[in-house]
Amino acid sequence: MRLYIHHKTHYRYPSPVKDSFNELRLHPLSNQWQKCESCFVNVFPTSRLHKYLDLNGNLVHHFEIPQDHSKLIVESRSTISTHKRVDFESFPYGVSMKSLREMEGKADCRPYLQSSSYVEINPEAWRMAVDVQGESKDVFQTAYLIMEFIYERFEYSKATTSVHSHANEILSTRKGVCQDFAHAALALCRCLGIPARYVSGYFYDHTRNQSMRGSEASHAWIEVLVNGHGWFGLDPTNNRVVDETYVILGTGRDYKDVAPITGTYYGRLPESMEITVTVKPLQ
Amino acid sequence: MLSRVADNLYWMSRYVERAESLARLVEVRRDTRLETGFGIQSKKFWSSSLSALYAEEFFQADGRTEADEFILFAENWPNSIRNCIYFARENARMVRDQLSDEIWVELNNTYLFFQSGDAKKTFKQSPSHFSQRIIRFSLVFQGLVDATVHHDEGWRFISLGKYLERADQTSRILDTLSLIGSEPSRTDLIGALRTCSALSAYRKRFRGELSLRNVAEFLLFSQDFPRSMRFAIRRIDSYLHEISGVPSGNFSNEAERLIGSTLATVNFTDIATLMDKGLHQSIDELQTKLIEVGQRIFETYVLLPFEIESVSQKMAEQTQAQQQ
Amino acid sequence: MRPFPFENYLTEGFFDEMFGKGHPHKPLKHYQEVYNRLGRLESGEILEKRSQADSSFLEHGVTFTVYGDEEGTEKIFPFDLIPRIIPHSEWTVIDQGLRQRMLALNLFLHDIYQDAKILSDGIIPTEVIQSSSNFRKEMVGFDIPKDIFIQVCGSDLIRDDSGTYFVLEDNARCPSGASYLLENREIMKKTFPQTFQGMSVRSVEEYPELLLKTLENLSPRQSQKPVCVVLTPGVYNSAYFEHTFLARQMGIEIVEGRDLIAIDEFVYMRTTHGLVQVDVIYRRVDDDFLDPLFFNKDSMLGVPGLMNAYLRGNVALANGIGTGVADDKVTYAYVPEMIKYYLDQEPILSNVPTFLCWREKDRKYVLENLKSLVIKPANESGGYGMMVGSSSSEKERQEFKDRISSNPRDYIAQPIISLSRHPTFCEDGIEGRHVDLRPFILYGKDIEIVPGGLTRVALKKNSLIVNSSQGGGSKDTWVLKN
Repeated sequence: MRLYIHHKTHYRYPSPVKDSFNELRLHPLSNQWQKCESCFVNVFPTSRLHKYLDLNGNLVHHFEIPQDHSKLIVESRSTISTHKRVDFESFPYGVSMKSLREMEGKADCRPYLQSSSYVEINPEAWRMAVDVQGESKDVFQTAYLIMEFIYERFEYSKATTSVHSHANEILSTRKGVCQDFAHAALALCRCLGIPARYVSGYFYDHTRNQSMRGSEASHAWIEVLVNGHGWFGLDPTNNRVVDETYVILGTGRDYKDVAPITGTYYGRLPESMEITVTVKPLQ
Repeated sequence: MLSRVADNLYWMSRYVERAESLARLVEVRRDTRLETGFGIQSKKFWSSSLSALYAEEFFQADGRTEADEFILFAENWPNSIRNCIYFARENARMVRDQLSDEIWVELNNTYLFFQSGDAKKTFKQSPSHFSQRIIRFSLVFQGLVDATVHHDEGWRFISLGKYLERADQTSRILDTLSLIGSEPSRTDLIGALRTCSALSAYRKRFRGELSLRNVAEFLLFSQDFPRSMRFAIRRIDSYLHEISGVPSGNFSNEAERLIGSTLATVNFTDIATLMDKGLHQSIDELQTKLIEVGQRIFETYVLLPFEIESVSQKMAEQTQAQQQ
Repeated sequence: MRPFPFENYLTEGFFDEMFGKGHPHKPLKHYQEVYNRLGRLESGEILEKRSQADSSFLEHGVTFTVYGDEEGTEKIFPFDLIPRIIPHSEWTVIDQGLRQRMLALNLFLHDIYQDAKILSDGIIPTEVIQSSSNFRKEMVGFDIPKDIFIQVCGSDLIRDDSGTYFVLEDNARCPSGASYLLENREIMKKTFPQTFQGMSVRSVEEYPELLLKTLENLSPRQSQKPVCVVLTPGVYNSAYFEHTFLARQMGIEIVEGRDLIAIDEFVYMRTTHGLVQVDVIYRRVDDDFLDPLFFNKDSMLGVPGLMNAYLRGNVALANGIGTGVADDKVTYAYVPEMIKYYLDQEPILSNVPTFLCWREKDRKYVLENLKSLVIKPANESGGYGMMVGSSSSEKERQEFKDRISSNPRDYIAQPIISLSRHPTFCEDGIEGRHVDLRPFILYGKDIEIVPGGLTRVALKKNSLIVNSSQGGGSKDTWVLKN
């Protein structure tokens, strides 16, 4: 399907700030599931944009605003075509948990099996993960159980966490938003040795009553690597295997690697930040 | 609604009504001349009409020999039928978004009829067809106005324009009778009635008794004949109150107060008192009042309070010029 | 058997919208259906349909005014019945390319009226901007509503003899033609219902709705339903029909300067029930005539005090003041650089190569090659004051030589591009005529482009000038769904 995405972030500062340096990860990737037909990123106050590819393969725009300014607006507009990616008949069942051993040694899996900024492998998380795994001996089935577990047992709540909430906190309070759910799922997967990475992106809520959670802003979910079958996306916030209604912005170890906007400046904290995301299908 | 739009609608409507009146006048006068007037010199025959229209000077300057052609086609006289249609369309053009397509097409076609030269051709072939076409256009136009636009504020301004113009024209036709000097002839009286499309209505009312007094009474005071002064004034009064939302009998602006007093005059004066005072004198007073009503409408709905004083003088002159 | 109307059709080496570079009797796939249906028409039927369409335009007053024409003004914009068709894949590229341009132009305007970084970084020479007669010093440092200068842009696209699309110019002031886009579609549906049916053409009728949303987005009073108006120079303006048409479609008032009054830095319109505050003005009046106190002292069209209200943020204007600097033809030459600078991207749609006469090297080339170039004044629109070298006389060339030498900043030159042609009904049957395309780009909360645009056609044989004021006509433009 073809999707058009408009993502706008508007910061207002109580007094003028200066020397603002920022990085944006707002340019969707092109891979085997999606093709980025076009993406326009722009900022106010107007500045010259530069770009590079980061270590995780995400496209990063960066810019600086040396002069005084009291607002900052960052916008991206992309047109993406996505391919059908899940076939409910052929989920990659049949890869045993034992085979995970082989992956531990691979360099490209290592980052996704270890602790990272927001995700820690520790005994509590491991115990919870083993409980969730139960009798399952299958990699995909286990990951699916983890997604279900979080969807069913965790409370979707916007007010309780911040962008900097750690997976440990989420696993104990069992409350949060998509970012937190993804972090929690990463922790449980990694404890069991399943390579799992964080995905930021968007999805189009195709349900008639717009019942899916998290569509009003940018979204986050996880991908797990099933040996021999590649990465599979799982969305613990909506209990869905990721399909063509999802658009990937970037992937990384956790939120820190793919935060859409990061930066520094001299001045006071913003008095408001307004984010609007529109995802609409094109004919 | 926008003041300018109200103003345009009002003038569009006045010009259409004016064109119709003139077409009737020309038609009737030409008929009259066919019957009686061949002895009289053309100029002399038309002079009373031209003077009631304040058009004598223009006629002389224009150079045309036939007055009827002048009234229809003169470029230099702002009230020739050609110019009326032109101004009506110009006003309409400025407010096209307020009119139905049907209205615009009707008016525009008539304009194109004049522009294309077809008008002159038709006139040469059959002057009477020509007049009929203009009259029919006006009737269709007014019918469309009633049938194809919302009867909202804009429509009330259109109706105001129509009735103010009609009252004005009826008073002028009556005035031609008073200007003749001597007691008008039977032909003159019938002519005046026909010019107001009033002959059969009059006959129904007075059973053939033809006199200046009766004709004046009918054209001034008839309750239900739609071209009588009283009828028109009553309509103007009611539209003005509908626009302002103030109940009839009260008034919220000068236009309403004036039209109220004019209505009282035609409601409570009888023909005897009026004739005693002198027909011309009385008509003149009514006309003056109506002109002032028009001006007050303009000041109330088009101008802003602080503009009135400075512009009023200039506008008064312009309004005069436009009405004559 | 070849269908009758195309019996004598020749492409004459031009890129033809219907036949491409190919054989003149084998239409491109997306034209096949229309080609077949046209083939089934009798010649009498065609004539009848044509006059039906013409009289329908005249009766409805769908007309424009030609300046400097004694005759008195109103003409219909001739409408050609053969639609121009754009396949989905082509439109996708155009759509993206225009979005990119619209963004870059807005970023550019915002930049040059704020920090002028693109100048200090040396991407565009400072003198280009400062010497533009459309640069408005009043706007420097002004915090424009929603940071958008151009709400409505009409970019003219052309195709060369290989079929490649180029942007010829961006009309960032008061582009007109959107009403024809809508009316042409209506008339097309009426006169050729069969052809239209079943072609899966994308609809354009949401334009007025999108335009109104774009305007409302600017309102300084978000608490209530914004009062938007269309400001027209009046009935004698060539695009007056369009102004009323759009106002009516949007359901808002159409006003002239004298309907508005500025009091204490707010703008009101005069209504029969007193003054009503106005929030957004879709102005179809050039900067110069907006406010006699600020700009042209003799302007009767404007509203004294409007600029002050605008600079106070009490009323919004669409387009913003000072957008003319973006459709200056010298600035045009730098649009690809703007796209790279602000968006860090390659332009999706190319510019026509442009020689800037103020650059000495370019000027030398231009003066030596006048015959193979089109010379255009930098700040005129509507096809006025230009010279097509190949069809110019020695005298004209000398005249332009003098003009360029005395005022190089005001002239640019471009190679003569043999515009693509499109089958068009002419006196002697169907012949190829040159066309361009003007899509309309709206920038409110987001950028919106209705699929298609106004296809203008030069009705005179071999003429390259498609402007309505210079004998051009128009066509309905169909963008296919897939």
